[in-house]
Amino acid sequence: MSRRFRVLALVTDAFGAPGGIAQYNRDLLTTLAEEAGFEIVILARRGSAGETTPARGITQLRPRPGRIGYIAAALRAAATRRFDLVFCGHLYAAPLARAAARLRGSRLLVQLHGIDAWTAPRRQARKAFERADLVLSVSRFTRAAALGWSRLEPHRIAVIPNTVRDVFVPGDRRSSRLALGLDDRRVLLSVGRLDSREAYKGQDRIIDVLPGLIAGGRRVAYVVAGEGDDRIRLESLARERGVGDAVHFLGEIEEAGLPPLYRAADLFVMPSTGEGFGIVFLEAMASGTPALGLAAGGAPDAMADGALGTLVQAERLGPAIAAILDGAETDPAALSGAVAERFGRAAFRRAVGRLADRLAETS
Amino acid sequence: MCGINGIFAYNPPANPPDEAELLRTRDAMAARGPDGAGAWWSGDGRCAFGHRRLAIIDTSPAGAQPMTSFDGSLTVTFNGEIYNYPELRRTLEAEGVRFRSNSDTEVLLHLYRRDGADMVRRLRGMFALAIWDEARGGVMLARDPYGIKPLYIADDGWTLRFASQVKAILAGGAVSFDPEPAGIVGFHLLGSVPEPFTLYRAIRSLPAGHAQWVDAAGAREPRRFASIAAALAEATKVVVPPEEIRARVRASVGASVRAHLLADVEVGVFLSAGIDSGALLGLACGAGQPRRAITLAFDEFRDSPADEAPLAAEIAQRYGAGHIVRGVGKAEFERDLPAITAAMDQPSIDGVNTWFVAKAAREAGLKVALSGLGGDELLAGYPSFRDVPRWRRRFGPLAAVPGAGALARRVLRAAAPRLARDNPKALGMLEHSGSWGGAYLLRRGLFLPHELYGFLDPDLVRDGLARLDPARRFRDSLTPDPGSDVGRVTALESAFYLRNQLLRDADWAGMAHGLEIRVPLVDFTLLTELAPILPRFGGGAGKAALAAAPSPALPDPVAERAKTGFEVPVRQWMHATAETGTARGRGAGARSWAHWVFGRTAMLGKAA
Repeated sequence: MSRRFRVLALVTDAFGAPGGIAQYNRDLLTTLAEEAGFEIVILARRGSAGETTPARGITQLRPRPGRIGYIAAALRAAATRRFDLVFCGHLYAAPLARAAARLRGSRLLVQLHGIDAWTAPRRQARKAFERADLVLSVSRFTRAAALGWSRLEPHRIAVIPNTVRDVFVPGDRRSSRLALGLDDRRVLLSVGRLDSREAYKGQDRIIDVLPGLIAGGRRVAYVVAGEGDDRIRLESLARERGVGDAVHFLGEIEEAGLPPLYRAADLFVMPSTGEGFGIVFLEAMASGTPALGLAAGGAPDAMADGALGTLVQAERLGPAIAAILDGAETDPAALSGAVAERFGRAAFRRAVGRLADRLAETS
Repeated sequence: MCGINGIFAYNPPANPPDEAELLRTRDAMAARGPDGAGAWWSGDGRCAFGHRRLAIIDTSPAGAQPMTSFDGSLTVTFNGEIYNYPELRRTLEAEGVRFRSNSDTEVLLHLYRRDGADMVRRLRGMFALAIWDEARGGVMLARDPYGIKPLYIADDGWTLRFASQVKAILAGGAVSFDPEPAGIVGFHLLGSVPEPFTLYRAIRSLPAGHAQWVDAAGAREPRRFASIAAALAEATKVVVPPEEIRARVRASVGASVRAHLLADVEVGVFLSAGIDSGALLGLACGAGQPRRAITLAFDEFRDSPADEAPLAAEIAQRYGAGHIVRGVGKAEFERDLPAITAAMDQPSIDGVNTWFVAKAAREAGLKVALSGLGGDELLAGYPSFRDVPRWRRRFGPLAAVPGAGALARRVLRAAAPRLARDNPKALGMLEHSGSWGGAYLLRRGLFLPHELYGFLDPDLVRDGLARLDPARRFRDSLTPDPGSDVGRVTALESAFYLRNQLLRDADWAGMAHGLEIRVPLVDFTLLTELAPILPRFGGGAGKAALAAAPSPALPDPVAERAKTGFEVPVRQWMHATAETGTARGRGAGARSWAHWVFGRTAMLGKAA
């Protein structure tokens, strides 16, 4: 094949925008361009490539925040050139992506993230989704859910997990703790938005079990990173349980502050029921800190079914935290290495390389 | 025959296969392979195969499985028989290949090395297999054209698991029991679970006549390598003079029977008083060695015209076969019932006969038996060959009026409630007879779609019908168009009743007794040879040709006997078991049995 494989990527955001989905889009599309030499045109609702430089072969068009403008720009792009593939970055955009793909006979690839794909979308989106040549899902759970509400055949959904960035590595734990003003208490950490609509993250479950942990003679602090409208409820819950002093709300943490924060904790714990994948588990473990989550949603993927992190049922949360705090210390380098082996950049690059080869297969 | 299974942790984040799980799944199939067990791991530890062996060809340890090629680059786990392996072996040896065993399994390795995935086109026989290709880092899965041997797959996006039985995959403990609405609806529509669905969402069948490749980039689309409809469609161009029909049936069925006698152990024959099994026995005995035949006799039928034993004895005598008549009574049926439902891999409204005849064969010391199964599909023996085209013609034009069918159903139900209750299918006549598939559903169906709402959750029915999409599946089985009425019904019967019910029943019922059931009339080579004359098999011509195939021909009473089958008393017991005693319309027995069996075999919603 002499001509380069051309992709039109219809996404909400990629370069120049915050958030996990934008990050995933950047990772995937950059790797397709770098590893497989794909030529990629990105049309996003937000952000422009000005702030971060995309890899060679990637062009990000002017962002189109308005719905109508976005649709018009997508169809125009798809009509003017023939693309081998239309990449649809979000399930709700599947009807548009399918229309764009049909204009010049491109194949259609739909990317699934998390909770948005756990229940059936509107009929139109489902119909378009079912016509996808290939679907990518970040986790096994999301894949199973989509196979449940759609008629897509199983071989059409492949799983490419999230990847953890290289900045998350073990480091000097003591200085991290000092910088954060943590004394010699054992530190539990959660990182995630405190959104009342996303109460599934489960910080309240940890506050509930804190009194028991402390009553067991442990000196424990619970550090909550993240901001949101659920904070007031969580703060009053902590007072109600008599552990107001043990719970520290840090508010929103800047990207650069995350690696030292993860390193400072004894245990990263997020008893969430709604993780599409749970990249924060990977970030914590890559930083050398053991992680604990519920056997629900995408968390078992990040924990590698218990091989990397610990998975429990919600009612076993307290004893499980106690067991880890009282147990043997984790070797941060070994844990970080094991995470990198499965979910590091190199592993992700290989996965995307295989995807590119699969896309280039004749059928 | 055997049972196969495997775990392939193809996606790098997945944990390597768990040995305990591999062995749990493998040993859940112990009955399929009492003669030995094996397990194999790939060099990188990412792929593991299991195998339970029923030794039939090269019963020595050299035939043990999983089998790895001499250079270690290919490993196969295989369930089935390759009847043309001697020819394949000769060809390969002439090309310089050196063999280490006398088993048909080894041929698979050499053939794969030479032809890659195309090797499946050269195999005559029944098979479900998995081949690990070290150089390409992946697994090829394949299943024979008719789907005689089962192969179930559970792929979660990280790890792919496969096994010969659904229950064996579940026994591994890593796969969800979440229900598949399409499988549940399909069972109630047809009396067996239509592939590729199972009762469980996470488990699917590899479709018959397909091969699938899996590597680190995931499972690829299964590729069809053989299609019954296509074999029939291609043959429409070939012209065979009418006077050659009988000669061709004799030659081709004879060749298939001889191919199916290949074994290093004794091969027996299931014998009823019907044409199919009688002709097989005649042809098998004509091929040389003495044979033993097994016939079921029912206490209820003793000294009545329904008793098949006397006529079967006459057939056996005519061909010089040893004859074993095994009596079965209601008490034994009731005693075996728990074992039957335990052995039934997926619910089926039939299979009980096969259970008893397989049991009798095993008691007689047989490991292999020929069955006449498939004769009615190949030789237009069912009433469906008459009814389906007729209904389609008579009601088809009316049914083409949008909404006419559903309207007629409502009117009929309101105007004649009694008729509607006693003949539930009559209500669907207009609605479904507009297409070949619909007319087939009327002929074969257990319940019609609108009836399901009466006893299943309406959301499940809607979801299940949408996922199953019966109309599309019927259409698929008729694409390309087989080109004749007989051909179309053959394609439908082969893709549904034969594949999902008769063959699957023969598999679990035979395997439960460690008996390999071979089906010479279900053979793709035979189908290809008979396809040009198949349109002329209607009106009993096909069966008459088969009756005349052995030398001497079958006794006249057999050739003339209306088809009763030895199923009748078993049906009565089954239905008596399930009936609640209330008055019901025609066909209610099978329906009650369906509910009874479903309730005892489905393990829906259990935690993995």
